[in-house]
Amino acid sequence: MPLIEIENTGERFQQNDIDDCILRAGLASGLGLSYECNSGGCGSCKFELLEGEVETLWADAPGLSARDIKKNRRLACQSRALTDLRIKMHTAPEFCLPVLAKRQSLSLLERRAVTDDIAEFRFQVDNEAVFLPGQYALLHVPGVDSPRAYSMSNLPNQNGEWAFWIRRVANGAATTVLFDQLRRGDRLILDGPYGMAYLRPDSPRDVVCIAGGSGISPMLSIARAAASDPAMAGRRLDFFFGGRRPADLCGQLELAELSRGPGALVTYHCSISDPDVGSGWSGERGFIHELVQRQLGGQLSNRECYLAGPPPMVQATQRALLLDEGVSQDQVHFDRFF
Amino acid sequence: MGQEPELQRFPACNTADMKDCDVIRIEPPGLRPVAVYCLDGEFYATDDTCTHGNASLADGEVDEDGVVECPFHAGTFDVRTGEALSFPCVLPLKTYPVVVEDGTVYVDLEHGRLQEG
Repeated sequence: MPLIEIENTGERFQQNDIDDCILRAGLASGLGLSYECNSGGCGSCKFELLEGEVETLWADAPGLSARDIKKNRRLACQSRALTDLRIKMHTAPEFCLPVLAKRQSLSLLERRAVTDDIAEFRFQVDNEAVFLPGQYALLHVPGVDSPRAYSMSNLPNQNGEWAFWIRRVANGAATTVLFDQLRRGDRLILDGPYGMAYLRPDSPRDVVCIAGGSGISPMLSIARAAASDPAMAGRRLDFFFGGRRPADLCGQLELAELSRGPGALVTYHCSISDPDVGSGWSGERGFIHELVQRQLGGQLSNRECYLAGPPPMVQATQRALLLDEGVSQDQVHFDRFF
Repeated sequence: MGQEPELQRFPACNTADMKDCDVIRIEPPGLRPVAVYCLDGEFYATDDTCTHGNASLADGEVDEDGVVECPFHAGTFDVRTGEALSFPCVLPLKTYPVVVEDGTVYVDLEHGRLQEG
């Protein structure tokens, strides 16, 4: 089994037969290899190959630029070691998994439509479901080449239940199987948990959750955790959800149930971005980051901010928070998917 | 006691100390660190801290086409405009006006600007 040495830090780890890439092999062995999306898109797990041979899983992954390729850089989430390796890569304690990821077999308990393109999937494992609210897992969907990252919507629990709100991708290989073919009791493999955008209950600040589309899944988990944690009593949590059309809005019922919780006080805000929305819509209009700024502009630097959604939404919101509102980078938490 | 340097005309380095594709970090008291680049005989200045993570761009590589790479994840920026060019960097850097006089490179720290986007 290949041994990988990180030259700049002297750290070493082994890629076991079960590991599908060097990133997850390193993370599973407790090292803080830099990463974010785990799916080839974000470019956070680049490394330089100094010695040895790797197999590239996805040659055209968008996380790698022509310049990176020229400089012999690769993505650790898309590379599998064929021999022992010597690599150069950024590592830091913040990337160490707070809960070590593992692979386990799940079976589908229930699929329930939430909107016309988002459904809640509940899966069952044999042991406890251990993760931090806001994290994601990789699902190996039968018949689909590479695993897909989905964020959990529920809370860690002893019943072994993992729930996800997943948005159907038009002609998407994985969501076609998940939405149309998977039956109750069918099994798939979960690898996780991963991700750094988890709730920081120790932060003394009020909270903002900002979600677009299926980004609601991890934000729901964070809101559920904050509302049920007595240690967060007295704190505000403003939950912003942006939809394109009124039919995209979701999460109000689940959040309303949280109002009786012993923890943070949750308030729901939403906005519709389609400029052609008719006069039947009397609520807020525009992009969700604009509503966040209208409601909380000037106070955001005192907030712990969590965001999830499609890349343009995350990018615009990140820009609004960091550049316009001067929120410090360590108060803004997100994992980007592409 | 020497006079405090003016922020609009902050001396960063001597032209003779920098060669093509060099980058240095300056740490003006009380302000964010700034990276100063030499590119084909011209000088440029941007914020030194990468907009993606807490890395110093002065520790990164500057390529001949005017692109600086963050040492953490090799995300890139155009040193002339501050524009973020490749993942994982998406937010631009602030750029600062630079003038060269009598062999000294001065940075105008009061007029940093962000590219519209």
